[in-house]
Amino acid sequence: MPPARAALAGLVALAVLAPARAAEPVSQFTLANGMQVVVIPDHRAPVVTQMIWYKVGAMDDPPGHSGLAHFFEHMMFRGTRAEPDGAFSRILARNGGEDNAFTTEDYTAFYEQIARDRLKLAMQLEADRMAHLDLSDPGVRTERDVVLEERRMRIDNNPQALANEQAAAALYLSHPYGRPVIGWPEEVHRLDRAEAQAFYDHHYAPNNAILVVVGDVTPGEVKADAAASLGEVPARSLEPRVVYAEPARLGETRLAIVRPDARVANFSRFYRVQSYARARPGEAEALDVLAALLGGDSNARLYRKLVVEQNLATDAGAAYDGDARDSGEFSVYAVPRPGVSLQAVERAVDAVIAEFAATPVSAEDLAHVKTQMIATTVYRRDNQLSLATAYGQALVIGRSVADVQDWPRRIEAVTAQAVRAAAANALDRKEAVTLYLSPSPT
Amino acid sequence: MRILAAIVVFLFCAAPAFASAPKALDIGPGEQVWFEEDHTVPMVAVTVALPAGSVYDPANKAGLAAFAAYMFNEGAGEYSSVAYQAAVANLGMQLSMSPDRDYLVLSFTTLSSHAKEAFRLFALALQKPHFDADAVARVRAQMLQSLQQDAQEPATIALNRFYQAFFGDHPYAHPVNGDAAGLNAISAADLKAFAATHWVRNGAKLTVSGDIDTAMLTALLKSTFDPLPATAPPPPPPVTHTGPPGLIVVAMDVPQPTAIFGLPGMLRSDKDYLAGYVANHIVGGGDFSSRLTHEVREKRGLTYGVSQVFGDFRLAGYVIGQVATRRDSMSRSLEVIRNVLAEYAAHGPTEAELRDAKTYLTGSYPLAFSSNVGVAAQLNAFQRAGLDIDYVTSRNSRINALTLADVRRAAARIFDPKREIVVVAGTLPSPAPQKSRKPTKA
Repeated sequence: MPPARAALAGLVALAVLAPARAAEPVSQFTLANGMQVVVIPDHRAPVVTQMIWYKVGAMDDPPGHSGLAHFFEHMMFRGTRAEPDGAFSRILARNGGEDNAFTTEDYTAFYEQIARDRLKLAMQLEADRMAHLDLSDPGVRTERDVVLEERRMRIDNNPQALANEQAAAALYLSHPYGRPVIGWPEEVHRLDRAEAQAFYDHHYAPNNAILVVVGDVTPGEVKADAAASLGEVPARSLEPRVVYAEPARLGETRLAIVRPDARVANFSRFYRVQSYARARPGEAEALDVLAALLGGDSNARLYRKLVVEQNLATDAGAAYDGDARDSGEFSVYAVPRPGVSLQAVERAVDAVIAEFAATPVSAEDLAHVKTQMIATTVYRRDNQLSLATAYGQALVIGRSVADVQDWPRRIEAVTAQAVRAAAANALDRKEAVTLYLSPSPT
Repeated sequence: MRILAAIVVFLFCAAPAFASAPKALDIGPGEQVWFEEDHTVPMVAVTVALPAGSVYDPANKAGLAAFAAYMFNEGAGEYSSVAYQAAVANLGMQLSMSPDRDYLVLSFTTLSSHAKEAFRLFALALQKPHFDADAVARVRAQMLQSLQQDAQEPATIALNRFYQAFFGDHPYAHPVNGDAAGLNAISAADLKAFAATHWVRNGAKLTVSGDIDTAMLTALLKSTFDPLPATAPPPPPPVTHTGPPGLIVVAMDVPQPTAIFGLPGMLRSDKDYLAGYVANHIVGGGDFSSRLTHEVREKRGLTYGVSQVFGDFRLAGYVIGQVATRRDSMSRSLEVIRNVLAEYAAHGPTEAELRDAKTYLTGSYPLAFSSNVGVAAQLNAFQRAGLDIDYVTSRNSRINALTLADVRRAAARIFDPKREIVVVAGTLPSPAPQKSRKPTKA
């Protein structure tokens, strides 16, 4: 196809230029109480995004109390002595602000988006709840019911989510990544004030948090305002995080879940692999490139083969999640067409993976996928929340601002041989759980 | 801590001056173009709405508009489906198709260095789409399977059933993605004919934001849209009435049923539309401070989320609320909602609630304009609503000008309890609640 070839010439140049263009100006400093701060100015609109990232997540839930970190995220909105009864969100809304939060295995993040002249207010509110959360409120138990409803909505009502939860539990022999972030229902029922208070005391402190501000501000103003609010919260001694053993798996786990409410069958496989936090240089980047080549979109090999050429599936893809303190995860999936078995799509997926493991990818395919990946770092600059998330999510697992800025260059450096090695070695079936979800026995 | 004294000072002053000032470009008599130029990030975001929504589906071919929409990137001009998608991806371009009831909304982002080629590919799909047999078969299979997937989701089931009850025999009644019978009846010739009559310049809404200058953009838009037909599709029938009120239960065995509740709203051209919008925001809008969230979630822990949308299709306004809760709490949740809405309909908001709503709605408005993607999307939504370009800058003063009497009048007009339709998807433990009364919102 001549048009595609014509486009290619421009791409090579782009791939070289993009890293330099994508680097946004970042200021970084630490407050006297140990809180890390990252500031990225963006003066297009008179608004600002503030995120606070706590280095505590579901993996820090004590035994028997899964879901505590997430439940606690909800608690942070209940109130303080100064601002009781859910005032946090009301005050922000009254000032034109929006706010929310999320919890993962590794961290808990809170954010506010608001007019630039209200950033100080958002900082004061965050400082207040970091230091003075009031958990004596009877609303604590009401909030537990809310969390159980959230679990019903996200997990219990959704057969694929339930199946994925079981696959994750099977993937980790001992590490708490095997527990759902939202918690097992029996254990969520047990969460109460005492657990929440202990969690707060042990983990919610400025020396365990990162402030990221993106928007219509200067680093100087952020420094002054943060020092006068968040910087006033005293540092605390932190409970050391537990280091869990991660024994090598000796064999693949296969899980077949049959539920009539799963109207459409689904094959997926989850591999335990290296994360960005722990991988040798270039190793995680190769997994990222492999995931994009294998299953990033409808141009990737899995979709091309299974959906377009072989007519076996209606969808197929792959993903790499390397933003983790401990193991990363690589996953592949395919949705068989009516009449096609899960075994058949699994064989087809494995044939595609075997191709990658045997033969280095072409220079052209590699250049194309890198262009797409690097373009996303330009698009990320368009959105304050995406940009703040990119930095917060890296720093909170112990990576650096330089790591984030340097990522396009490191993606550019991934060789065809490294991608082949990732497919051959990192996608180790002994480190995998294969999941069949189907409406009736296969 | 001394910072606390400052927090109690609520800031009621007006939001800072708002920076967005798009300009209108003239590229021809049929299309409306708004453009916001900004060179901060080297990218361009484009949103295009065409009069090609599901309201134009023939009665026996529900899903035709959406089917055509999903064929947009399945081959055009000299490109096969595979070649087209590869060309788009290799450029680092991101393209999406979102059919709704009135419009086909197409969006793309491109690096500014590749804008010319991105527009060329986009234009090709608009002007010379293929509808090749293999791609038609593949997309049909994907849409059919997605309908099956929907059949396990109570929220989707309830919403589809609501529209059916609300719009009766009007083409708004069927789901945008159609039904199995309709999708199976659609041929490649139908798709081609639909594109020829509905992917037209007459009535097209175009919005662009980002790193490009007026001269270049004008040239690119002209070459994209000039070759399209200048005809307009036949107008859809008016909405003359809505369905009878009452309770509909769709039995399904899920841990958490979903209820959809709603009633007629206002057309966007209604002089009380904004008053209705604000009235709805106070009682059920999306943020954490609405009356419904306070009563159902915060006080009683009955749900993770309850909200009510004040929406408008081109030919009908509506109010639609949603709540999900465990089986044995649904009756109680619906009762609480009924009481909140009945009380609100009778008395309307308080002065303080109106003031808070105004500061939130006007203060958060600039957040929608903080990215190129956001600007293009927001401006396009205004165009689809039939608003003039000066609305972008006058919107906040229009909201601030609303009086308590305006909002109460709108609420009283809209929230007639006798008109409400409630659909519950899920199986309840005891007899379902009797006919529900009313939601209010304006």
